Amino acid sequence: MTVVVVVLYAALVFAAGAAIYRLVAGPSMADRVIALDLLLVSLMTGIVVDATHRNDQTLLNLLVVIAIIGFTATVAVSRFMERSQ
Amino acid sequence: MIAVVAMSPVAAGFLLAGVAVVVLAGVGLLKLNTPYARIHAAGKASPVAFLIAGVGASIDLGWSGAARLAVAGVALLITLPLAVHLLFRAVHRTEPQYDPPQDVLRPVADTTDDI
Repeated sequence: MTVVVVVLYAALVFAAGAAIYRLVAGPSMADRVIALDLLLVSLMTGIVVDATHRNDQTLLNLLVVIAIIGFTATVAVSRFMERSQ
Repeated sequence: MIAVVAMSPVAAGFLLAGVAVVVLAGVGLLKLNTPYARIHAAGKASPVAFLIAGVGASIDLGWSGAARLAVAGVALLITLPLAVHLLFRAVHRTEPQYDPPQDVLRPVADTTDDI
């Protein structure tokens, strides 16, 4: 099962790398926002994989906090985009 | 010391499926060519990916872990479509150069609708 865990983490790192590329190179502000959102989702999925791998439920309390913070950030930036033109 | 517990094959399958959806969202974010398509790819695959991975983790973690994962999944499922909708609206209002082109098939379809 170690191979499965390594494959899971490598895939999550690939997705996070794609999100970081879009965060740096994205032509519009919305691309950067959705890249940050995908980065947070890959972080959340990584926390889930880590909790399953170590059979430790401590970090699962963070998932709701990360979800709410990502939602607040996305809403704030999209309101800012509409207001600042 | 990290106590490594072997995960069950069913949980590993669900986790692999969820992470595969995250990877597909990343590929869509890399390869698609308009902001609408990129937001569509990443924003709609993300809650599905987290829910699949949460199902896989709940199999191994038991009821207390499943309860926390369910709360997080519901929070993500409520908030993320709202955020993506607001983002679509912001793109539509501020960047008209990304509007989709006119439907060039529309006159043809209107004249041949009795086929």
